[in-house]
Amino acid sequence: MAANIIDRRRINGPQRSVEPLYTHVDAAADPFASGRGDGRALDQVRPIFVKTGPLSAHRSESALSSAAAASGAAFYEQGKIRVSCAVYGPRQGRRSSARMGSFDCDFRYAPFACSWKRRSHVKGADEREISLMLEHAIAPAIRLEAYPKACIDAYVTVIESDGKAATIAAAINCISAALADAGIEMYDSVAACSMGLTGARWVADCAQPEEDAASCSMLIAYMPSADEVTYILQHGKTTPEQTDQAVQTCTNMCARVYAVICRYLQDSLE
Amino acid sequence: MASLILSPAEQDYITQGVERGFRADGRGGLDRREVTLRTNMISQANGSARCRTGYLGAGTDVLVGIKAEVNSWTAGEPEDKGAIVCNVECSPSAAQEFEGRGAEELNVELTQLLDRILGGPQSGIDLGKLCIIPKQAYWVLHVDALVLDVKGSITDTLVWAARAALLAARLPRVVVESVADEDGNMQSEFDVVDDAEDQISLEGADNLPLAVTFSQIGKRYVVDASEQEEAVAQARVTVAVSPQMEICAIQKGAALRGFAPSLLTEILHAARTIAREEFARFKAVFDAANKATAADEPSTGSTFLGEF
Repeated sequence: MAANIIDRRRINGPQRSVEPLYTHVDAAADPFASGRGDGRALDQVRPIFVKTGPLSAHRSESALSSAAAASGAAFYEQGKIRVSCAVYGPRQGRRSSARMGSFDCDFRYAPFACSWKRRSHVKGADEREISLMLEHAIAPAIRLEAYPKACIDAYVTVIESDGKAATIAAAINCISAALADAGIEMYDSVAACSMGLTGARWVADCAQPEEDAASCSMLIAYMPSADEVTYILQHGKTTPEQTDQAVQTCTNMCARVYAVICRYLQDSLE
Repeated sequence: MASLILSPAEQDYITQGVERGFRADGRGGLDRREVTLRTNMISQANGSARCRTGYLGAGTDVLVGIKAEVNSWTAGEPEDKGAIVCNVECSPSAAQEFEGRGAEELNVELTQLLDRILGGPQSGIDLGKLCIIPKQAYWVLHVDALVLDVKGSITDTLVWAARAALLAARLPRVVVESVADEDGNMQSEFDVVDDAEDQISLEGADNLPLAVTFSQIGKRYVVDASEQEEAVAQARVTVAVSPQMEICAIQKGAALRGFAPSLLTEILHAARTIAREEFARFKAVFDAANKATAADEPSTGSTFLGEF
């Protein structure tokens, strides 16, 4: 097939062409000029739902099951994110010392939890990493010296995720609620919140598309009554002023998330 | 970190000292220990560095090797970028508890930290320059670190060594040619030039950050904590700062307690002041190390051990 035969029966375009001129739209400058995709304010966290106790209501009544149920459990929703957590313990520990108890955390994504790719059943490096982060974020809140020789285990399953940092924050909140349900002695509940830096703005609780567009993410876990930041993680580059601002905004939002969780826990006692 | 057991008296001594601005080895709260650095002593690697924080015979010792590999592009990966992959391993020679799977948790934590600092645009390295042909082939830099000895403050030493190794790394030059295949379509092909003289350094490696780790002891904090101080520390936070004084990463480490937000802000400011001094110190030590490399090429094990 010779490429130089010209089709004369049809109107052909010119041999050379130039790109049309568009009016320049600077999309990168401020993607949030007309608000966020789901109509939230920039510093607004997605709606939260918490429930403590086992996921299926009748499970604890089944006398046939010989396996002991978890000491505490919680289900947590934040927008599309769904996380469940079961807490076992305090029970006899494998690694704990005579002076202090230990807190272990096991974080798993369900195979269908992520939008991009099916998760394998084998525990991935990122899951191990997040397990460690959760341990570091929660352990400062627990009175581990009250549980010598014991260990407390938290098993977190992400049923659905939407934004990685936001999912980790949701997991922290979920563990807090489950620990309270299990009656573990704590200094305070830990509340966590994440933010993403898009352009020069911090956007709270980023969903997956928002997180993909962000240049930096910040995750803070905070105990409002004790006024202590139990975990901080920044991934990406910022100016020092932006980091300062993020720490402040994030702790404020954590306090708001904390209020929601505490309100539920109080109501659940009545 | 290494689980050192201290008596209550020792713990009290360290805590009260730090609160008053004195440390067991005579340093002030924000003083760092000496650093010994040696670069490109591993001939098989594209770049390498060994860094020790502390005094002769007792210090944290990290060896980093950079290996560059050409990867073929698969769908889903960034189209015109290379990649940096980090891995940290704690050698059982450093401490007994690193035997078998004992170091697993620490390995994960350190790998995650190094990845957070180096594995993206925040590292300052121009990842676009690591792309050979878009959607076909790109360079992967494997940053593999081996922790040989642990005497406190692993993270800072690790980032020092990684920065030195990446600055010292040389990639072979790649020639890209367009060739027509049998259908007349133009296709790009590349050749890696196999010439030790004809190698290029990494673009943007000067922008690599350094890390400063703060340990909270009592009501105050110290940088570059010794092994004893780490055993007493209640909280630890690592801040990575670029030469332009931007903050590249923050990560809180294993801890029994949290930081007050006001203390955190104070730490972030202190991190910049310290980083400024550290960059000047790094430059001096790195230049000296490069001179030493040119003068006497390490050829046997004894020169490898050299100053270490």
